[in-house]
Amino acid sequence: MATLTIPTSGTGEPRVLRSRAAGKLLLLALLTAVLLPLLDRWGNGSWPHALTVRLDTPLTTASDWVIDNRDSHPLFLYFFGYVSNAVIWAVRAVYLTLLAAGWAGVTAFAALLAWRVAGVRLAAGTAVAFLACGALGMWVPTMQTLALMVVAVLASVVVGALLGLAAGLSDRLDRALRPVLDTMQVLPAFAYLLPVVLVFGIGVPAAVLATVVYAAPPMARLTALGLRGADPEVLEAVESLGATRRQRLLTARIPLARKELLLGLNQTIMMALSMAVIAAVIGAGGLGDRVYQALASVDVGAALAAGIPIVLLAVVLDRVTAAAGDGTTRPRTIGWPYALAVTVAVALAARLLGAPDWPGGWTLGIAEPVNRAVDWMTAHLYSGVPVVGGTADWAGHFTTWVLDPVRDGLQWLPWWSVLLVVAALAWLIGTWRTALTAVLAMAAIGVLGVWEPSLDTLSQVLAAVAVTLVLGFATGIAAARSDRVERALRPVLDVFQTMPQFVYLIPVVALFGVGRAPAVAAAVVYALPAVVRITAQGLRQVDQAALESARSLGATGRQQLWQVQLPLARRALLLAVNQGVVLVLAVVIIGGLVGGGALGYDVAFGLAQGDLATGLVAGAAIVCLGLMLDRVTQPTERRAKKGA
Amino acid sequence: MSLTVPTRKPPTTTEPVFSVSGLWKVFGPKPERVPEDPELGTLTPAELRSRTGCTAAVRDVSFDVRKGEVFVVMGLSGSGKSTLVRCLTRLIEPTAGTIAIDGEDVRAMDKARLRELRRHRAAMVFQHFGLLPHRTVLDNVAYGLEIQGVGKSERRERAAGFIAKVGLEGMEKRRPGQLSGGQRQRVGLARALAVDPEVLLFDEPFSALDPLIRRDMQDEVARLHREEGRTMVFITHDLTEALKLGDRIALMRDGQVVQLGTPEEIVGSPADDYVREFVRDVPREQVMTARRAMRPASAAETAEGPAVRPEATVAEAIEAVARAGTPARVMDKGRCLGVIDHERLLGVVAGVDTTTATPARDDDAAVAAGGRAAGAAPAPKKAAPGRRRQATAPGPRTSPEAV
Repeated sequence: MATLTIPTSGTGEPRVLRSRAAGKLLLLALLTAVLLPLLDRWGNGSWPHALTVRLDTPLTTASDWVIDNRDSHPLFLYFFGYVSNAVIWAVRAVYLTLLAAGWAGVTAFAALLAWRVAGVRLAAGTAVAFLACGALGMWVPTMQTLALMVVAVLASVVVGALLGLAAGLSDRLDRALRPVLDTMQVLPAFAYLLPVVLVFGIGVPAAVLATVVYAAPPMARLTALGLRGADPEVLEAVESLGATRRQRLLTARIPLARKELLLGLNQTIMMALSMAVIAAVIGAGGLGDRVYQALASVDVGAALAAGIPIVLLAVVLDRVTAAAGDGTTRPRTIGWPYALAVTVAVALAARLLGAPDWPGGWTLGIAEPVNRAVDWMTAHLYSGVPVVGGTADWAGHFTTWVLDPVRDGLQWLPWWSVLLVVAALAWLIGTWRTALTAVLAMAAIGVLGVWEPSLDTLSQVLAAVAVTLVLGFATGIAAARSDRVERALRPVLDVFQTMPQFVYLIPVVALFGVGRAPAVAAAVVYALPAVVRITAQGLRQVDQAALESARSLGATGRQQLWQVQLPLARRALLLAVNQGVVLVLAVVIIGGLVGGGALGYDVAFGLAQGDLATGLVAGAAIVCLGLMLDRVTQPTERRAKKGA
Repeated sequence: MSLTVPTRKPPTTTEPVFSVSGLWKVFGPKPERVPEDPELGTLTPAELRSRTGCTAAVRDVSFDVRKGEVFVVMGLSGSGKSTLVRCLTRLIEPTAGTIAIDGEDVRAMDKARLRELRRHRAAMVFQHFGLLPHRTVLDNVAYGLEIQGVGKSERRERAAGFIAKVGLEGMEKRRPGQLSGGQRQRVGLARALAVDPEVLLFDEPFSALDPLIRRDMQDEVARLHREEGRTMVFITHDLTEALKLGDRIALMRDGQVVQLGTPEEIVGSPADDYVREFVRDVPREQVMTARRAMRPASAAETAEGPAVRPEATVAEAIEAVARAGTPARVMDKGRCLGVIDHERLLGVVAGVDTTTATPARDDDAAVAAGGRAAGAAPAPKKAAPGRRRQATAPGPRTSPEAV
């Protein structure tokens, strides 16, 4: 049977596809030909002024109104005010508890917790990670970030689990929530910052709430997925024994969804960390703020000193929560009462010994040596290295020869042709629905009046995606074809996938300075692991029978790859493209902080200058761009599966 | 194929536990119109689907399950048997018809009453076990009791007893993932038994098991039935299993019951060609009984010869006749009901009916005529032995002597 499918998929399917694709393209061309005379009066250049709606004035008015009324309007006094105060109070309470426990108490508790849920190796790793945070002189910022995270994660889990429970139990709610959650998942973190700032102003409450909004969707999605994915025969058996709805939920559906719930917790924690760091730009404080300040003054050493704790925190949190969720039963280690007792004992001991705060003498100043190294690099590697050229030269060349032409080309294109290209791509890959959403999103960008900076951002995204896909597919194919490559790559990918977006800016600034090229480089590095992983997995999951039959017919390795593996892994490859685009966009936007310009810069500028109107318009454009890019690259199958 | 029909206790009474009549389950848009419209009801499944977009999984099914019997519903996959058994406790809501348990209308029950039915009166065993993977064996078995609100220590104690009963002592602390398929199904069986139901419903419980394990489990169920006499409704696609366990068998095809009867009736007088094809390879001497194979005895014959019980299988009678060298008497409570001789036994084995046996040349014509006649209607509880039999082996036979 498998033998039969290969020839048909080799010859028959592409022809069908081609003819269908040709039909779609023909239809689009026809539509354009009809509409073009009508569109012509708005010109052939950039987005026509006549079609723009200036939102600056109303937005500024709204923002001013909020600022004026924040202390007097009942909506703020009796609702947002309480929310804001509750958040501040909760974060302070956690922060003070962490400080009271001291470095020894926190480290001991974290290690015991890790031991309890994830075994002895991760416990040791956790202890080392926390001590390293202290040793880098980052104990207090780490605790600030941790306090914010604890509150945000708890709120996200509660909100996400409740939404997920509702979506898991009600089909109608599921249908309503799913597209919203799916879309929230693809939007760059930066887009969430401004609306909360508008309401809450810059500060901890805004940071926590932005984090909750960003981190709750995965919990909600996975909760719903877990509740819906329960083995139907088990549920039927439970029902056949006469269980009530409540009994079924509590004794079967929720326990059966344990794996998904813990995966949701894991993802929520990782997203919360990522956002808690980015939220430094709206006053989150902590580690993210240190990185942000350091990057603003291109102090790579200080950025690295704050960045390393972020990475350590991310890796530890990810491994521990993932281990808790993998379902293997471990021998009992330590009971909760004992863990608490030991923590209190250690904290008291440290306090009695007079070292509640991290002892100053134990701090390792890495900022200076790192900066010396960076200076050396700047002096020796930036440019003029014989034959290969320097990193700054590469960045410059990349900007001149790739980014500039792509940007200029996009901005030179008549506005309607951009829409046409978007429509054609989205329709060829997806359905007319996705195409329509994509075109509308793109048009909305024009209407908002940020056509030019959006195309600038788009050019960076396209360049980064191209580089990511070339590298990612090549590496993915290598990993799929050789076990040794995969084994070597796995730990690297694991670490890279857990790191928050913000951290990627540090090394690229060290290597390439500031500008658009480093933003693109950070985006490539951030998106690469996901692309590699999805590609490798997709290729490995190709039907073994098909591959075997190809081999039995005497296909060479290359023939197997091109004629069997890649066509059969088409879905995975499209998914890799989709993920690559979404991840690249997220970092390209953040790249606005290191000279990437365009939309990301507008948001940062708006925040820094208190010009919320500019920021909000840019934020809306980011949302539209994210929506458009996701829809353009969304394969039909994925939509179909979601609809079912 | 070796198959032994265990000697069964005859059902204690004939009062029905489940009484099903005119039951329909139609999937698709506006399903209620299919049973209401007599014209739609007669369409073939394909026609029905193209006309209405509906699939009738169960079509106008009626039967009674008597107290203490093992009632087997047999059919190939897609014949609607699993839907049928789920309709009994309304795990699937029937479209039309009536279901009564002990005279009480199941379809009229409200939620609480239905829960009561599921908790205490009918428990089900599933093909893929339906165990809770996060609970131990003990807690899985106790689960039904937990649902009923039985206290922890009491339900665990009771569950432990049933675990012992299905032969899983010492495995109480394991989780389903650590058990083999057969052991998991024993847990499923113990869970159903633990709630002490009036009726046990089995939905292809052993289809997912290896053949050897399957035989063990069948013996286990037969043993449980012997010991407890609990009413059982057993769904299977395996004819051997149906014949081995069933007191009565309902054979389903395309949602309809094509024949309902004892194993002997199904094998001995198939209602139509479909059933005949189904039972073709059954070793008949192990299903048919002496009562069915005997002929009236002459006065001389009632006095001597080896005695066999009327429920004894033909295989047993063959052994008795072969040992003695004379026809065997079928004795019931000291009374001679009839005799079995070589011809009658060979006739059963060959599938040739000796009561109206004709020379082999005419046999084929008789079968062709009989096939049509018998196919017209199901023949439940047919008292007389089948009148026409199809020869299972090709070629002319030695014509049996006329009686």
